[in-house]
Amino acid sequence: MSFLKKIAKPVYHKAQDNSMGRRSITLAFLLRRLTRRFGSKEKASSYLAKNMHRFYITGSKFNKGTQIKNLFRKVDIHIPKSGFIFFLDEFKHLSEDGHIIDNISIDYSKVLKSSVYEYNELYFHPKAGRGFARDLSSDFIKNQLDALDGIELLIYRIIKKLRNSNHKDRAKFARYFENMIDKPAEHFEEALQRILFYNQLLWQTGHGLNGLGRLDKILEDCYFDDLNSGLITQEDAYDLIKSFLKTLHTYYWYKSAALMGDTGQVIILGGKYDDEYGEYYFYNDLTYMFIRAIKELHLPDPKVLLRVSSETPRDLIELSLETINTGIGSPLFSNDEVVIDKMIEFGYDKEDANNYVVSACWEPSAVGKGFEQNNINFISYLKPLNEFFDNETEQFLENVNSFGELFNSYKYYLKKDADELIAFLDNIEWNNDPLLSLFIDDCNEKNMDISQGGAKYNHYGITTVGLANTVNSLYAIKKLVFEDRKYSLNELNKMRKNNFKKDKYQAILTDLKNVNPRFGMDDEEILDISNEIIQFLEDCFKDYTNKFGGKIKFGLSAPSYISAGAEINASFDGRKAGEPLSTHISLDTNKDFTEVLRFASKLDYGGAKFNGNVVDLMLSPDFIKNHTDKFTDFIYSSIQLGFFQMQMNVVDSKTLIEAKENPEAHPNLIVRVWGFSAYFNDLPEEYQDLLISRALKNEGKIAS
Amino acid sequence: MTVRITNIQHFSLDDGPGIRTTVFLKGCNLTCPWCCNPENISFEIENYTHNSQNESFGYDISLKDLEKEILKDEAFYVENNGGVTFSGGEPLLQIRELEPLLKSLKSKNINICFETSLSAPSNLLEIAIQYIDEIFIDMKVLDKKEAKNVLNLDIDLYYENLELINSSNLDKKNITFRIPLNNEYTLKEENIKDILNCIEKYADFNVEIFKTHNLAESKCKSLNQEFTIFSPVDDEALNEVLEKIQELNSNAKIISL
Ligand code: SF4
Repeated sequence: MSFLKKIAKPVYHKAQDNSMGRRSITLAFLLRRLTRRFGSKEKASSYLAKNMHRFYITGSKFNKGTQIKNLFRKVDIHIPKSGFIFFLDEFKHLSEDGHIIDNISIDYSKVLKSSVYEYNELYFHPKAGRGFARDLSSDFIKNQLDALDGIELLIYRIIKKLRNSNHKDRAKFARYFENMIDKPAEHFEEALQRILFYNQLLWQTGHGLNGLGRLDKILEDCYFDDLNSGLITQEDAYDLIKSFLKTLHTYYWYKSAALMGDTGQVIILGGKYDDEYGEYYFYNDLTYMFIRAIKELHLPDPKVLLRVSSETPRDLIELSLETINTGIGSPLFSNDEVVIDKMIEFGYDKEDANNYVVSACWEPSAVGKGFEQNNINFISYLKPLNEFFDNETEQFLENVNSFGELFNSYKYYLKKDADELIAFLDNIEWNNDPLLSLFIDDCNEKNMDISQGGAKYNHYGITTVGLANTVNSLYAIKKLVFEDRKYSLNELNKMRKNNFKKDKYQAILTDLKNVNPRFGMDDEEILDISNEIIQFLEDCFKDYTNKFGGKIKFGLSAPSYISAGAEINASFDGRKAGEPLSTHISLDTNKDFTEVLRFASKLDYGGAKFNGNVVDLMLSPDFIKNHTDKFTDFIYSSIQLGFFQMQMNVVDSKTLIEAKENPEAHPNLIVRVWGFSAYFNDLPEEYQDLLISRALKNEGKIAS
Repeated sequence: MTVRITNIQHFSLDDGPGIRTTVFLKGCNLTCPWCCNPENISFEIENYTHNSQNESFGYDISLKDLEKEILKDEAFYVENNGGVTFSGGEPLLQIRELEPLLKSLKSKNINICFETSLSAPSNLLEIAIQYIDEIFIDMKVLDKKEAKNVLNLDIDLYYENLELINSSNLDKKNITFRIPLNNEYTLKEENIKDILNCIEKYADFNVEIFKTHNLAESKCKSLNQEFTIFSPVDDEALNEVLEKIQELNSNAKIISL
């Protein structure tokens, strides 16, 4: 997720008018990265000062393709002594004009099948015949060809450097790189290296949150060919996967966006599909190997998302649960029984929905076919409710006679925010992107850059936050004001505005916090309120299309629960001013997991409401271990019931508290945040505190 | 028709096969000193204050509402015989009130489990047996006098009920003895001898043993009751008993509740 970047964006827009401003912003981001790398600002600054001669931004007077060529001519190449080649030069930057398209996965299966030569073929003049003349009739094609030349140039630079290096397998790896020029990838190791290379290009050109796609499927052919011809054993493949994952984990400090760990490096495994003969579940040896490998390596990143269906083999679910039980927060389960249908309902082709991946955290999208910016902004449900109560006069509130009237007023305020968001969306300019245009359908067919609408799908995805707080607030008001008539709206509002500080408000605060039923419980009224709100939001977006013809989709999981909570007043659910909003779909005070699952399965994810909807469970260590069988049953029943996605945080409050006080004692403690995993010690304090309080609630040690 | 309960616990994983909903019925005629659910003993609804809020243990629920609550998790019962567990308190004591519900659950193929001390008239047990799929039977103090003094249990009735279960159609693999172990009472040498005899007699029942723990302290406080703290049982003693039992019944195991 990239909301820190969002904070930086307004500044960025002003500054990009002059190149000095652009340079200083790039430098500021570089310093942030280096600070993460070295662990202190002082060390980072001195490293930066010593290396300033390496700093380079491409000249914006050239077209993007030429800039890419220049960038790839300049990046410093680093060859390790053994293993995969992957390097990033943090000092070399592509100039940005407009927002860089990020948060997507390219289709690496195409990368494996195609070579630079074949990509070049795309742009030859059709009339002149293949291989004769380059078609230079459009700016798009000029850009594409220049970018391709850049890639070719970098490949040759790497080969040269490799040959002169002391890399243990330099001849073999040089061949892998040579093959990139004119051959499809043939072998398993070669395929992994090719994925890493193109992935590296994306990072180096400023793209963030690069997903990896369905690696078990993508690598299947190469793996089985090598296995069947006796070139590798299963163990060899497993070792290669581990070193591939370790390689992806390098430059963690470079890749992390808003928070350390927020790299968007998600690997999608498994998946339901169907054809004329029936429904199937895709999986293979590699599916197991990837999960086993992340379990063994115990790294927060990259992370795994397992697409599940009723047909998912039991031992795969069990392996996933064992992996989750180690605390690494991965895999996340995505329920194909629901997700695929909802994507089709929204307008994706069936084939693309069957082949879905997710953006950095959970947002389903078509792989390699979309410009889809799936976390472009967020809406807080609670903010408009609070605004209503902050803005309206006592007299107005006095005249609100029914819950229905109140609900309508709330909707009016929510719509205002939705409209504002739409206006924001229309003003975004996108950075030209020949590199992505090369890989994303249908840019080449349309002869149009992805930033101009060349992709097959051009939807905007937003996230939403605070639904639980809003539903609980509305329900509390309904109950206390309109049903029990214990307080008037004005009385309640006065207490809220006071932040429930006065002593005499303590009883009401407890009442509000304990209102029962509440969001997350399988109660008709709560579900009705929840579904009515999200349906209303969908209606707000219904008539919108962006300039490329894409629509808006949204989901109930958002990373912004802390930042969006920090900026608003106390609310009627007993949340005090500045406190975080609730996390995803969760019910921390309740150990009846079946309850929150039933609830989640009754939420309406149809229409446009499928942009990531995660049930977030807190588990104490060993809970799964002591009940593996039953917990596996629970997952299967839940799949059938119809949850959307599910992630689990296995934590114990005692360890978290200890780790906060004494970070050195728990250097490898991993937790789940947003849709990724991170080292607990890397998290800002407010995230640590929130996890501690959620764990305490889950263990029954504090009330709501 | 209503029954009196203290709690309904969904997603119970330790009260029988599969994923279960456990219903805690209020009221028990025994006085186990280690009882971890003291709020389930009295048949009356008990009020207390907690953080200066008035709260109470126990409420009456209609069979219709109770059934609705149980069926909520029906989707989770299908795998591995999940279902409903009636615990307490002593669930047999409200069996007449419960019967229509049991009948209805049975017709819906919901797996029914009871956790009982067997301290109830045999005719009540007879009603229950028609519906029961699984049963957990407490085995605590077996000496006639001690049982009366410590537990208020009529041991003849206990054995009579045990025989009733044994001669019923209930599948033996679905019958389990649950034995709470503590130094003060059940682990005493004589008692262990009695326990072994009983296990030998019903060798095809399952056996689960566990340590009693001092869980009820805060609940006793709310109820203004005295709470006796038990000395910790060491693992060695537990394993020793397990080994002895396993000579008679190799499937016996230790559980933690
Ligand atoms: S039989 Fe159960 S509920 Fe009754 S006193 Fe003994 S432990 Fe408590």
